[in-house]
Amino acid sequence: MNFQESDEQLMLRNAVATIGQRYGHAYYAEKAREGEKTNELWAELGRAGYLGVNVPEAYGGGGMGITELAIVAEEVAAVGAPLLLMVVSPAICATLIAHFGSESQKERWLPGFATGELKMAFAITEPDAGSNSHHISTTATLDGDSYRLGGTKYYISGVDEAAAILVVARTGSDPDTGQARLSLLVVDRDSPGLTYQHIPVEIRAPEKQFTVFFDGVSVPAGNRIGSEGDGLRQVFFGLNPERILSAALASGIGRYALERASAYARERKVWSTPIGSHQGISHPLATAAIELECARLMAQKAAWRYDSGLDAGEAANMAKYAAGEAAIKALDQAIQTHGGNGMAIEYGLADMWGMARLLRIAPVSREMILNFVAQHTLGLPKSY
Amino acid sequence: MCVKQIPDPAAPAALDPSTRNLVRDGKLIMDESDLYGVEMGLQLIDAAGGGEVTLVSMAPNGETNGLRNALAMGAAKAVLVSDPALAGSDALGTAKVLAAAIRRGPFDLVLAATESTDGYTGTMPVQLAELLGVPSVTFAKKVTVDGASLKVDRQTEAGYDEVACPLPAVVTVTAGVVEPRFPSFKGIMAAKSKPLETLSIADLGLDAASVGGAGAREEVVDVQQAEARQAGQLVTDEGDAHEKVIAFLEDLKLI
Ligand SMILES: Cc1cc2nc3c(=O)[nH]c(=O)nc-3n(C[C@H](O)[C@H](O)[C@H](O)COP(=O)(O)OP(=O)(O)OC[C@H]3O[C@@H](n4cnc5c(N)ncnc54)[C@H](O)[C@@H]3O)c2cc1C
Repeated sequence: MNFQESDEQLMLRNAVATIGQRYGHAYYAEKAREGEKTNELWAELGRAGYLGVNVPEAYGGGGMGITELAIVAEEVAAVGAPLLLMVVSPAICATLIAHFGSESQKERWLPGFATGELKMAFAITEPDAGSNSHHISTTATLDGDSYRLGGTKYYISGVDEAAAILVVARTGSDPDTGQARLSLLVVDRDSPGLTYQHIPVEIRAPEKQFTVFFDGVSVPAGNRIGSEGDGLRQVFFGLNPERILSAALASGIGRYALERASAYARERKVWSTPIGSHQGISHPLATAAIELECARLMAQKAAWRYDSGLDAGEAANMAKYAAGEAAIKALDQAIQTHGGNGMAIEYGLADMWGMARLLRIAPVSREMILNFVAQHTLGLPKSY
Repeated sequence: MCVKQIPDPAAPAALDPSTRNLVRDGKLIMDESDLYGVEMGLQLIDAAGGGEVTLVSMAPNGETNGLRNALAMGAAKAVLVSDPALAGSDALGTAKVLAAAIRRGPFDLVLAATESTDGYTGTMPVQLAELLGVPSVTFAKKVTVDGASLKVDRQTEAGYDEVACPLPAVVTVTAGVVEPRFPSFKGIMAAKSKPLETLSIADLGLDAASVGGAGAREEVVDVQQAEARQAGQLVTDEGDAHEKVIAFLEDLKLI
C-alpha cells in the first residue's frame, strides 16, 4: 500500500497550480460575469498537454490516466477556477472514444482532445429521463448510411463552445421490457436541424447549460461509437471517470474555500484574538478539512482502481458523494467564517455557491448514489 | 546552470544550534530564483538552434527532487554532487565543488542566480568564475550570444550597463527578467528518463579537508533576530490620500 503520489504526479500538480494561480478566481469570476469563457486558461492548459493527459500517446496525448486528469481538474479548481467541461470533454467523451471508438474515429477526434482544442459536450439528460436512462426517448433511426436523430436533451453543458456533442440516443427497445437500447453518436454541433437554447441557472460559471433540439438531424453512421444498442454499457464505462472528475472538481472547490477561510481566520480579530482561535470557527473548519481529505482519498482510490482496470463503480460513486457534500460544507463554513465579507463579491466565496451546490445534483444526484450504495454495497432491495 | 536545492521557504526554517547553519535535512526543493537562469539557458539554446542545458547542483542526502522540475522544463541532464563530507560548506567550498563538476566537460556558459533564497550571500558565482578562470558578469537582465562573445545587459541601480565579454563565462541572472516556462506534460514524463549523475567528492578528485565544514573559511559566529518591522503609517483617505502618499515617498527620496 502506498499513498505517495509519484514525482511526475507531484510535478503535474505544481505545474497546474502555477498556471492556475496566474489566472486565479478573479479571472474566472470576471469571465462568468461578462458572459465570456475561460478560453485563455483552457488553451494554456491544453498547449502544455494537461487537458489530454489521459489520451493515449499514439494520438498525441499524455498516455496516462484518470488519476492525472483528476489532478489537473482539482488543481485548477483549487485556485477558484473549476473547469466544468473537464468533466465532460476529456473525462467522458475522450474516454469513450479512446475505449470504444474505431481506429479512424480515434484518429479523427483524439488528437483534438490531446491538446484541448476539441471540446465535446455530452448529452444524456432529457426532460422525461433524468436519473433514469432507460427512459431515454431521443431516437436515432438508421436510414441508409446515416441516422435520423429526433428528440430533446436538456441541461447540456457547453453546447455553445463545443464543436460536437456525444449524444446518448435510443436505437431500439428491448421487446420484453420496453427499456431503451442505446447508442452513442457524435453529432456535429452545427448540423442542420440541431438548435439549442440557453437555460439560465444560478451558477456563476463561464460554462452554460442548454436545451438541445434534434429535429431530423442527419448523423453519419460512421459517427456511432461502438456497436449499436450497446450504449448503456458504454455510458457506464464513461461514468466512472465522470464521477471521479466531479469529485476532483468538488475537492478543489473545497480546498479553495478552506484555504481562504483559514487565512482569514488567522488574521481577522474582532475581540483580542484572531477569530480562528474560537472553537466555534475552528472546529467546523477542521471538520470540513477532515471530510474533504477523506473525500479526496476516496477519489484517489477510485482513480487508481479505474486506471488499474479494476471495478471502480463503488469507489467512484462514494467519492463523488463525499466530495460533493464536503465541498458545499467547506464553502458554507468559509462564508460563515468571513461574516459579512463572506457575501462580498470581492472575497470570491459566495459566487462559488452555485457550482458547489450543483455538485450534489449533477452529474449524478446524491440520491442516485445512495441508491447505488444501498443496492450494491449493502445488498438492499430497490424501490424503483 | 547552477541549481540550488533549498528547504521549502514556506516551511518554518531552523538553524543548527552548534554551527548556526540552516538545517537542510528535510526534503529540498529547487530555489525559485534559479528558474530564471534555467529559462534563460533554454532560451539561449533555442536562439542558437543547438546545445543543451546541464544542471549542476550540490545538495545533501542525494537530493534530486529540486532538479526534476528543471529537467521537465527542458534541461538535458543533471549532475549532483552529494557527499557527507560537504556538510558545513561555505560559499567558496561550494564554488570549488561546482567548479570541479563543471570542469569535467566542455562548457560555453555557466549561469547561476544572483543569490540563493536561503543563504543570500550572492558570492558563490563570482568565486566560481575565479576558480574556473573565466570572466563573470553579474545581475544580467538580458543575455545574447554572438559567436564567441557574450552581450549582457547588466542591471544597475540607475539602469543597466551593456557589457561584452568573451566566452566561456559565468553569468548571474536576476530574478524576474524572463518568464520561466512551466513544464509540459510530455516534459514531466520525459524528466524521469533524463541522465542524472550523482557524484561524491572522491569522484571529483577533491580532498575532504579542502571542502565542507573542514575546509570552510567562513564561520557563522553569531545569529541575531531580525529587528521587528516598525508599525506602518496609516493614511486615512479624506480625499487627499494621494498627496500624503506622495509627500511620504518624497520624504524618503523615493520619488
Ligand atoms: C448545471 C448543470 C449542468 C448539467 N450538465 C449536464 C450535461 O452536460 N449533460 C447531461 O446529460 N446532463 C447535464 N445535467 C443534468 C444532470 O445530470 C441532471 O440534472 C441530474 O442527473 C439529475 O437529473 P434530473 O435533473 O432529471 O433529476 P430527476 O431525475 O428528475 O430527479 C429529481 C430528484 O429526485 C431524486 N430521485 C430521482 N429518482 C430517484 C430514486 N429512484 N430514488 C431516490 N431519489 C430519486 C433525484 O435524486 C433528484 O433529487 C446538468 C445539470 C445541471 C443543473
